[in-house]
Amino acid sequence: MAPRSIWNGAIAFGLVQVPVKVYSATESKTVHFREVHLKDESRIEHRRVCPREDKEVPYDDIVKGFEVKQGEWVELTDDEIAAAAGPRNKLIDVEHFVPAEDVDPDFFERTYFLGAADKGDEAYAVLRAALEKTNRAAIGRWVFHDRERTVAIRVYGKGLALYTLRFADDLVDPADFDLARVSKKPSAREIEMASKLVEGLHVKFKPSEYEDSYRDAVLDVVKAKAEGRNIAPPEPEETDGDDSDLLATLEASLG
Amino acid sequence: MARSIWKGSISFGLVNVPVALFSGVKDTDVHFHQLHAKDHVPIETRRVCVDEDEEVPYEEIGHGYETDDDELIVLTDAELATAAPRKTRTIEIEAFVDLEDVDPIYFDHPYVLLPDGESEGTQRAYRLLVEVMERSERAALGRFVLRTKEYLTIVRARRERLTLTTMRFHDEVREPPKSPGKRPAKKQLDTTVKLIKAMSEPWDPANYRDEYEKRLKKIIRDKQKGKTVKEPERPEQPSAIEDLMAALERSLEEVKA
Repeated sequence: MAPRSIWNGAIAFGLVQVPVKVYSATESKTVHFREVHLKDESRIEHRRVCPREDKEVPYDDIVKGFEVKQGEWVELTDDEIAAAAGPRNKLIDVEHFVPAEDVDPDFFERTYFLGAADKGDEAYAVLRAALEKTNRAAIGRWVFHDRERTVAIRVYGKGLALYTLRFADDLVDPADFDLARVSKKPSAREIEMASKLVEGLHVKFKPSEYEDSYRDAVLDVVKAKAEGRNIAPPEPEETDGDDSDLLATLEASLG
Repeated sequence: MARSIWKGSISFGLVNVPVALFSGVKDTDVHFHQLHAKDHVPIETRRVCVDEDEEVPYEEIGHGYETDDDELIVLTDAELATAAPRKTRTIEIEAFVDLEDVDPIYFDHPYVLLPDGESEGTQRAYRLLVEVMERSERAALGRFVLRTKEYLTIVRARRERLTLTTMRFHDEVREPPKSPGKRPAKKQLDTTVKLIKAMSEPWDPANYRDEYEKRLKKIIRDKQKGKTVKEPERPEQPSAIEDLMAALERSLEEVKA
């Protein structure tokens, strides 16, 4: 079955428009459980309750509010919130292009695939080829689900992918954390040995070599329970202390 | 100072460095709360057992798994915890990879990883790891367990510290849609390359502000003052040119002007 697109529009840069369709690119495979009452295995429902009246409130009697001051709420309708969305012109509006490798991984939030829409094959192929040739990513704005986002468009396989980006203000700068002083920096010998260790473990990244073994372990526990087998708690974990003799430990690691 | 979300150690060969994990993102979003329309009392969500029609305390809630033949298998927290690997307190580095080989599609959530404890041994081992990762420009792959779930993670050096990013597994990434097999015409490609170069800038994250949040805050202020909320005016978008080659050439002229 062909995947269904979740958005239709065009990538706009300069006076050029590339008609595209947007598709989901990722899906969670985490094993899902639903909440049940342990004693009788009955279903748990989440109910909206007004604590003052201690009564369930029907959905129609619920509004959205923003707390401007303790206990003081500004009520907004869905339409009023949607007014913040941004231009609804069905465009992924490219502002400029940047070197694709320069965008730090921390900025990437969610990924979508881009497919060529009707009559868009030619423009799509040209944009993809040009991004590959220049090693650039397009940076622009995209209104999706009533919210404007900053996005990057990059080459992905034989096509293009759209990545929503986090804002700089939303990322923690690692340098904001202070490090304790050390009296002695790592020695040249330590660095050399540690570098050997890094090179020894260096591989080409192949995503398919990393399986989610936890997912299988969860399903195994489910199976054991279904078959009435005993589910044993794990052995307590041993914790290693820190290494006082770094050089000796590095030597031992290299064998 | 922010509180750590996890403490354990990162191991690399036989070297073991005690570390603490901190979130790498700040939540700056405007959050709305559900209110009872008539009196603006904030709504609470309660977990209710449908059979007894009564609220259920958190400790009495289990994890129900529905099998394909509609059978319900219930696990307690303790039973579910047995699925977690034995080493729940260690990030074991399995391999080092080149960061540019990892497509951002695999990145999930960023964290900062700091040495846990002031001891000289811990601090020096941490610095050594940062230093070699900076020099080699490699990132480390490892696994770790956070709140019962095991993640594949990538650890790298940034700003003289280590950062950790949880990753998606390969089978959580879908197949991309079929892309057009067309080979672009040389003249079109050359002009597009020129246009991209003319529209190129260095990456500077400070150039991008969350305009949505800014507009939302203004809407809240307007509403508070009793003003009517209107959708803000937008500048007219230039209309697109149908012919691709003509559009490329005109755009290039305008960018250069």
